[in-house]
Amino acid sequence: MLLGKLFKSFKITDKSYLSALSHAGTIGLHMVSGIVVGTLIGYSLDKWLDLYPWLTGIFMFLGIVAGFKNVYVDSKRLLAAQKEEDEKRFSLQAEDSSDKNTRV
Amino acid sequence: MEHPVLLSTLLGIGEPYKHVFYTWCAMIILFVVGFLLRGKMKTIPTGLQNFMEVIIGGLEEFTVATVGEKGRTVFPLLCGIFLFIMVQNLLGLLPFCDAPTANINTNAAMALFVFLYYNYVGLRSWGPGYIKHFMGPMKPLVPLMLPIELISHMARPLSLTLRLFGNIRGEEIVLLLFFTMAPIAATFPTYFLFFLAKALQAFIFYMLTMIYLQGAMEHAH
Repeated sequence: MLLGKLFKSFKITDKSYLSALSHAGTIGLHMVSGIVVGTLIGYSLDKWLDLYPWLTGIFMFLGIVAGFKNVYVDSKRLLAAQKEEDEKRFSLQAEDSSDKNTRV
Repeated sequence: MEHPVLLSTLLGIGEPYKHVFYTWCAMIILFVVGFLLRGKMKTIPTGLQNFMEVIIGGLEEFTVATVGEKGRTVFPLLCGIFLFIMVQNLLGLLPFCDAPTANINTNAAMALFVFLYYNYVGLRSWGPGYIKHFMGPMKPLVPLMLPIELISHMARPLSLTLRLFGNIRGEEIVLLLFFTMAPIAATFPTYFLFFLAKALQAFIFYMLTMIYLQGAMEHAH
């Protein structure tokens, strides 16, 4: 009972809210992991080819761009989901009001 | 910070292997539920069957709404991942048990599997044309976009691993700290919060897998 009420108040049972929450939760780490992977690739290539500062710098830059690209794609998806949700809600509201009109 | 009393220690399983033991525990729980339900499926579900049908039906609806009808072909994997991670996470809340997802190796194994699987699905659906997924929107930008896309794809298993590991490990540490400070009074309210957080982490892993599979199956932008 209590758990159900708690879940309702956190809107965890609402699927669109849950998916928006999880999308928002993923954005931060997506940015960081792009940078980390880019830097690691550059560093290991540098160790292998003995070109120290160059490849690390280049791949770190590419990693930062990849991180930004991840965030860009994520936020685009979040916005699209939001838009879809809004449309659904508005159409539901319109249906509700038309029901009321016919009843009156 | 170590767990005070563990089932695995009582059974003589050492510290380095306990996450493997608890992974098997999660698998056994899921197998037992499956075997219990398999024999006596009812048209009008009751009890445990009802509970499982709500979870699996809801997930299927969500998958088909996001990916489309193609999503049904990969749904068994997605649902398996959600249930498996959910049970693994919730093992951390049981007394004498530890969450196997609080160890980075379990998560890395699952994330690498997801990485290999969605690339396999992409290669299966598109053949050599799968490389177009890595080329970005414009022809002249290909030399720049190819390494960026490759890096962002390789970042996916890393972020999947670290997110799950960080969340679950952090919750375990907080629970232990609270338990040492005020045994029952402090841990009881946090159980509700962590139940939500663990369910959310399982859902996030499932949802990201779904998004990656969707990206591999649909046309390149």
